[in-house]
Amino acid sequence: MSWEPFAEWLQNTWFHGVMVDIYWMFPLMETLHFLGLIWLFGALLVVDGRILGIAPNLNMKACMKFIPVAIIAFGVNLLTGLAFLHADPFNYLANPGFQWKMGLIAIAGVNALWFWFGEHKELVQLADGQQAPFRAKVIALISLVVWVFVIIIGRLLPYTGGNG
Amino acid sequence: MDALLWYEEGPMGIFIRESLWGYPIVLFCHAVGMATVMGVVVVLNMRVLGFAKELSVPAFARLFNIAWLGFFINLVSGLILFAGSTSSYVFQGTFQLKIGAIVLGGILMKLVMGAVRDNKPVAVQKLLAVVCLLCWIVGVVTGRLMAYLA
Repeated sequence: MSWEPFAEWLQNTWFHGVMVDIYWMFPLMETLHFLGLIWLFGALLVVDGRILGIAPNLNMKACMKFIPVAIIAFGVNLLTGLAFLHADPFNYLANPGFQWKMGLIAIAGVNALWFWFGEHKELVQLADGQQAPFRAKVIALISLVVWVFVIIIGRLLPYTGGNG
Repeated sequence: MDALLWYEEGPMGIFIRESLWGYPIVLFCHAVGMATVMGVVVVLNMRVLGFAKELSVPAFARLFNIAWLGFFINLVSGLILFAGSTSSYVFQGTFQLKIGAIVLGGILMKLVMGAVRDNKPVAVQKLLAVVCLLCWIVGVVTGRLMAYLA
C-alpha cells in the first residue's frame, strides 16, 4: 500500500507533536468531535425527518436552513478528525474500521450531492404537511442510515485496529 | 455499598466485563442514542433561540418521539455500562456531574416546551433554552471525559 509515506509525513508535522505532547489535546478534540457529531446528526434529523414524514408539518424550506448547520458541524468533525489522524497516523490508516468509516462518509457525501442537485429545488416548494416524493425519501433514508453506521464504526475504531 | 456491589456483581456486570464484544456493542449503542437525543435537543433549543423561526415549535413534537427512543437506548445501555464498575462510577465526580446535568437538562427541556406552549415572554423562553442547552452539553462533555478523569 502507498499510504505509508503519507503517514510518515503526518508523523513528522509539528501538529503531531502538539497532539502527542500536550496531554489534554486528544480528549479536547474528542469532546469537540462528539459535539460536532451531535450538531450534524440533529440537523440531519430535521431535514431527513421532514422528508421521511416523521415530522411532516415542519416547513420544508425553513428546514433547509439546517443544511449550513450540518456543513459547519461536519467541518468541525473533519478538522478534529484530522487532529486524531495527526496524533496516530499509522494506526488509523491501517485500521479497517477507519477505512470503512471514510468510505461511508464518501457515500454520504455523494448522497448529499444527489440531494442538493436532484431534489432540493423541488422539495422547497412542498406545502406544510405535504409528502415528499419517493426519490427524496430514499435519499433521506440513505443519509440517516449511513450516518448512523458512521457513528457506530467511529465508536468501534479502538476495537477494530488490532493493536488496541 | 452492598447494593452497589450487588448490582456490579449481577449478570449485567459480568456480561459487560467478560464478553469480548459486549462492551463495544453497548458503547456504540450509547453513542447512537446520544446523537439521537442530543440532536433533537440541540435543534429544538436552536429554534427556541430564534434560528429558523418559520418552523413551528409544535411541529417538532414528532421528532421528540425519536428523541425518546434515543433516551431509552441510552438509559438501557447506560445501566449496563454502569454495571461494569458501579462502585467506582458512583464516587467519580465527573459521573455525578454528568447524571446531574442530564436530569437538570431533562427538566429544563420540559420547562422550555411549557414556556413556548404557554406563550411566556420570549426572554424567558430563550433563557430556559440557553440553560437547557448548556446542561446537555455538560452531560456530553463530562460523559466523554469520564474516561480521562477517573
